Amino acid sequence: MSKSLQQKNTRYLLIWLPLVLLIGTILFIVLMSMHARHMQEQQLELKQENIWNAFMAKPETIAWHITGEYDLVKGTPFSNNWLNKPRDTTIYYADKMERVAFGLLTERHLFNGQSYQLTTYISSKEIRHMIIKAIIAEVFIFVLILGAIVIINRKSSGLLWRPFYDTMKKVKAYDIIQNQALQLKEQTGIFEFNQLNQEITSLIQNVNQAYRNQRQFVENASHELQTPLAIIRSKLDLLINSPDLTAETADLLADITDATERLSQMNRNLLLLTKIDNNQFPERTRINVSDVMEKLLAYYQEYYDGDLPVINKSVQPGIYLMANASLIEILINNLVTNSIVHNIPNGHVDIRLTHNELIIENTGHSITGDPEQLFERFKKGREQSQTTGLGLSLVKQICHSYQFDLQYSYAEAIHRVRVVFANL
Amino acid sequence: MKLLVIEDERSLLESIIQYFRQEKFLCETASSYHEGIRKVEDFLYDCIILDLNLPGGSGLQLLKYLRQNKKSEGVIIISARDSLDDRIAGLDLGADDYLTKPFHLSELNARVKALIRRKYSEGTSLLELGALKVDLLSRNVLVENQQIALSKIEYDLLLFLMTNKNRVVSRLAIAEHIHDGPSEQLPSTDFVYSHIKNLKRKLKEKGCNEMIQSVYGLGYKLSS
Repeated sequence: MSKSLQQKNTRYLLIWLPLVLLIGTILFIVLMSMHARHMQEQQLELKQENIWNAFMAKPETIAWHITGEYDLVKGTPFSNNWLNKPRDTTIYYADKMERVAFGLLTERHLFNGQSYQLTTYISSKEIRHMIIKAIIAEVFIFVLILGAIVIINRKSSGLLWRPFYDTMKKVKAYDIIQNQALQLKEQTGIFEFNQLNQEITSLIQNVNQAYRNQRQFVENASHELQTPLAIIRSKLDLLINSPDLTAETADLLADITDATERLSQMNRNLLLLTKIDNNQFPERTRINVSDVMEKLLAYYQEYYDGDLPVINKSVQPGIYLMANASLIEILINNLVTNSIVHNIPNGHVDIRLTHNELIIENTGHSITGDPEQLFERFKKGREQSQTTGLGLSLVKQICHSYQFDLQYSYAEAIHRVRVVFANL
Repeated sequence: MKLLVIEDERSLLESIIQYFRQEKFLCETASSYHEGIRKVEDFLYDCIILDLNLPGGSGLQLLKYLRQNKKSEGVIIISARDSLDDRIAGLDLGADDYLTKPFHLSELNARVKALIRRKYSEGTSLLELGALKVDLLSRNVLVENQQIALSKIEYDLLLFLMTNKNRVVSRLAIAEHIHDGPSEQLPSTDFVYSHIKNLKRKLKEKGCNEMIQSVYGLGYKLSS
């Protein structure tokens, strides 16, 4: 699963930084303990020296034993193994009912030919307490550092990546069909992003150019096709008037006429598509869509008296759109025509127009293939040779240029096309 | 009637003049801008059929030249360009009609005849074929002075067939001619059949039997 750059960065920091800090803490504890031990040894040595000096100065006045301070004995009661090495022990304080840890050091001294053994004590409790307090302080500081690093990192990477997000937003909003140049900042203050913007800008320029060329090509090709088509049509007009026309040639002619007709219709639609692509329908007026719909339906009733499927309409009057009149007529005409052409015998068409949407439902055979592709050029719902395969792509293109939402669904033998108007 | 066809596509040019010669037009041709200018200078025509893309200059220039020199021939532009702007440009320069390629010769014929009627013979607004009379001003159809009540579509259909009388007019040409709604996509041309049937029935009721013949399903022919 992909995460955002910042999330990823924070996650990374949160995984590794605590680990590093933990190792640091352990290291700190070990070093602290070692130093504390060393310090204790020094203090034990110092005490040995001080007490022995005091003893030697006034051997009779000094106490032989002070709990938690020192122990002086005549002779050598302890084995040599215990000598000169700091050891640990605990002393029980009855009044406090507490066992306290001590470090102790025993050394042998000679005085007037008599050997003595002196053991000095230094309490470990205070040192231990200090170590614990230092560790707590250290952990607290580490947590603070961790938080600060994460926050600073987030802030700074937000700042760092801002040009990138700007660029991404613009690239996202870019629409090849509008064919506009993409304006990206040339100077972002970061070398890599300058380069990225430069590369994207030139890439888009090339893409735009290629797209323009392709559109121009389609337009030119369609235009050039018109003349041969005109020739074929005129020759066909002459041929059907020839006096020695037989039933056999008439059949052939009928087929040629149909094919030619499809060709010229396809060509007309292609031209129309390129023109919409090329934004050659810029003028917009306030169109009464209800009127357009009613006129079209009346027209169909008049021309196709009896041959039509049953049309149930619910057209709300006075629905207006700011758009190009020709395009809206084509849009509605193509959708209605489509619902009639691809109907079944004794089928029906339901048309609903409200202030924000147009829904056309019709009975019909299920389509073969992906319904998403129905609105692509030259894609047909079924293998039906009479249609050009461009009617619905015109619809799609028109919807796209006005940002209408176009939806298609098929369920229970009903095709449903829904257009949601945007610019109300 | 004299007709000048200015079109650089020879094959199309030939089709057009062949069709109009059968209509008893005197046809002159030109296949370039300069030839067109020369012909226009030298003769007077009743109607000029003008292509826009010509070698040596554009049809629009030729049209401008024509109107600047106070020549009042009727001009019908035939062009592969079908945008509204092209159409407006042509009509603004004084063309009388604008027909987009590919077109049907029967449609061109109907446009030429309508233009000539409008321009030159305001008085005679009566078309006749056998016992059938069509009054173009009052839009009345008479058979031996008996009026036939026709719907608008049937009237347009009859008029179109009369303009192209004695010729086979293809079903598609009829469909395109009488179809004045949004023209991008006709669901089918089947509607022509039912309107022809109605028209036939109405003519038959008034005694005009068998005037409209179907020709192998390709089209229809009106003759006396």
